[in-house]
Amino acid sequence: MKKIIVLFLLGSFGVLGQKRLTGVVKNKETKLGIDDAQIQILETGDRTFSNKEGVFIFEGNFPENVQLKAAALGYQTELINVSFSVSNSIEIILTEKHVDLEEITISTGANVMQNKSPFHVETRKLSDLNGVATMNLGEAIAKIPGVYQSSLGNGISKPVIRGLQGMRVVTLLNGLRIEGQQWGGDHGMGLSEIGIGSVEVIKGPASLLFGADALGGVLYFSDEPYAATNTRSLNIQSLYQSNTQGGSLRFLYKESRKKLRWLIGGSYSNHADFQLPDGKFAKNSRFDESVLKSALSFNGKNSVHHLRYTFNSTVTGIPGHTHDSLAVFSDFQVVEQKRKYELPAQFFQNHFLSFDNKWFFGSSDLQFFMGATSNRLIEFDEKVTIPSLSMRLNNGLYSLKWNRKWSNSSKMTIGMQGMAQNNVNAKNASDILIPNAQTFDNGIFVNWVYDWNRWIFQSGLRYDIRILKSFNTFEINVPISKFYGSPNAAMGVVYNSEKFTFRTNISSGFRAPHLTELLANGFHHGALRFEIGDVNLKPETATQLDVTLEFKNEHLSLVLNPYVNYISNFIFLQPIDSLVDGIPVFSFEKLNAVLFYGSDIGIHYHPHFAHNLHVESSFSWINTFTKSDSSISFLPPSRLNTSLKYSFNFGKKFQLKELILQHTFMAQQTKVAFNELPSKAYNLLNISLNASVNLKQTFGISIGCKNILNEQFIDHLSRLKNIEMPSMGRNFYVSVNFLINQNYKSNTL
Amino acid sequence: MKNVILKSTVFVAISIAMYSCKRDECHECHYDKAGSTVEMGEYCGEALENLETTGSYTDTTGTYVVHCHGH
Repeated sequence: MKKIIVLFLLGSFGVLGQKRLTGVVKNKETKLGIDDAQIQILETGDRTFSNKEGVFIFEGNFPENVQLKAAALGYQTELINVSFSVSNSIEIILTEKHVDLEEITISTGANVMQNKSPFHVETRKLSDLNGVATMNLGEAIAKIPGVYQSSLGNGISKPVIRGLQGMRVVTLLNGLRIEGQQWGGDHGMGLSEIGIGSVEVIKGPASLLFGADALGGVLYFSDEPYAATNTRSLNIQSLYQSNTQGGSLRFLYKESRKKLRWLIGGSYSNHADFQLPDGKFAKNSRFDESVLKSALSFNGKNSVHHLRYTFNSTVTGIPGHTHDSLAVFSDFQVVEQKRKYELPAQFFQNHFLSFDNKWFFGSSDLQFFMGATSNRLIEFDEKVTIPSLSMRLNNGLYSLKWNRKWSNSSKMTIGMQGMAQNNVNAKNASDILIPNAQTFDNGIFVNWVYDWNRWIFQSGLRYDIRILKSFNTFEINVPISKFYGSPNAAMGVVYNSEKFTFRTNISSGFRAPHLTELLANGFHHGALRFEIGDVNLKPETATQLDVTLEFKNEHLSLVLNPYVNYISNFIFLQPIDSLVDGIPVFSFEKLNAVLFYGSDIGIHYHPHFAHNLHVESSFSWINTFTKSDSSISFLPPSRLNTSLKYSFNFGKKFQLKELILQHTFMAQQTKVAFNELPSKAYNLLNISLNASVNLKQTFGISIGCKNILNEQFIDHLSRLKNIEMPSMGRNFYVSVNFLINQNYKSNTL
Repeated sequence: MKNVILKSTVFVAISIAMYSCKRDECHECHYDKAGSTVEMGEYCGEALENLETTGSYTDTTGTYVVHCHGH
């Protein structure tokens, strides 16, 4: 019996049938080995580095056919297919390139190489977005063309894609859909930057691969890679920001052996009220955040498995809140900066658990993903022990995908996804905004990709259902039971030549009305509204046409990306001319049709005469067309972002690395909804100087200043706009980053 | 290796336990009477919760709404 158990355990950890791959990475011109090239097995995430002779070795459990990504500083990144049944050794040739404007990126979310996808996927490394330090994840991603943030002070930030936000933007963390009462304008993303390596943005309806709701788009966050095989690393990072007299402290420990990889990390951030350009402070804009992150991954004989858990807890003051009908805006701007918790405040806790499994069978693979999230949202308004709002949202998810490669040019994916949600109000809360309810989602889809010379065609079909059931929770609430269903489709084509890429796609999506839109009936203190739902609202449907034209050569990259997104049965909040307990009343209503249209334009220039200089600029423009022009609020203004980066190679023990200068021009916005204030144009200038101290270990040091000119401005997407609260004034920061890498001598475990 | 896993497990357990514990907070409470604030002193834990559940203070002159925070 013992033998059977041992054999079973060995089999499940894949100890049987290990593989070995040796290789050498060489310079195409000199034929010499390349030192410190990074080689990654894309299917499993295993990584290693070449030695001084360019030699590398992988040992362990890997699928029969794998794809290697080889990258080295100063060389063009290459992808190489390897079949263990053919050979166990490989020679990789890399071509020298003094700059790589467009690195080869694999879209994790869409499971395709980015230049082969008809759908424009914008992938950014978080380290690039944080070239100038940011206050939160929302501020970092708002540097991506077409992506904005809607904020309530510094502690609450929500992503906005092409003018849509809330339930219309789906956020995923390593494939796990994040559900955190995102219908509320005052409910943040619930994600922290720790351990996150990159973000992919899919703009527009993305129902085909990600299910219902994503009419505005999808944000797909992926973790940093694990430590390279047989190494461990510890990264400690601290950041201090002068404006809020606050900062963050993070640590991330990673360890990878032959078969097992794991990481654990934590972070703590604390910020006092932020300072306005005139020297006063935004009352109760303080926040406090703690995060714990862990992940474990192992390879089976022909499989890879990832188990991940993240816990996030924030306590955020809610600025700009009052029940006093005689209050004036200046009451919210105070002379004393405070840090201690005060009412009104929001407590936000998230647990994210996921188990991602992938099995490889020759020309096909099967992916089974399951996960659970639990979100606790508590708002304290008038009393410190009795919450005004307290809800727990539990969510269970699964997805099953089968990818089959029929030939070198044809690939198909069939899958199904589901989600079960349970929303429960705490009994001690004084108010109930939405009733206790359960939601069940399910969808099936098929997606086909055909590769023909320089052309790639993609098309897919999907059908989704949602069952919604609410329970009798408060007096005037009548329980409901609803069924929604909708087919969706997407098709697109991409053409790649040496210098030009043309891609276009048409995709549809649907979003069933959320519980709050159907059944809200109460105070939403965080948003300072009394909200009333409409049980007769119909699902929103969207159809988007998106075109991308790209040109690139060695020194220049240009992108033009116009789009139109037609949404029917668009649901929005309409202010009603009445007050309940001094708070304005809003009701959910629908517009028969809204057309969102606009364009993102990007340029990346690297002049030949100044190899160390990078100039990157993007312009985003969004507009809407409706028969009634007073219904779309928080429409992002046009934005021009420009970044100049100069890389140094100066000094040895103290090495200057790069100087970054960022400029943002935000245009005025006069297209506003009823009762919404317009906003003025503004300019923002940020600077950062990054250096490293190379002793026995390496320290990274960054110093910088945001809003150098101390510009007084009110962002159009700020939830504090209507109380005329300006955004943060000048903010100096200093960041220290300490990284230890260590190799193992033994290859045990 | 075992040592690192053990330490990490203890760290995770302590972190979760810290957030599971209910905070036993204390707050100064007051009510407004005839245009002036009457301090009631500091209330903690269950006493604070009971006072907020009642939500008011009654004396011979009338009943007044109690506040226990610096709104």
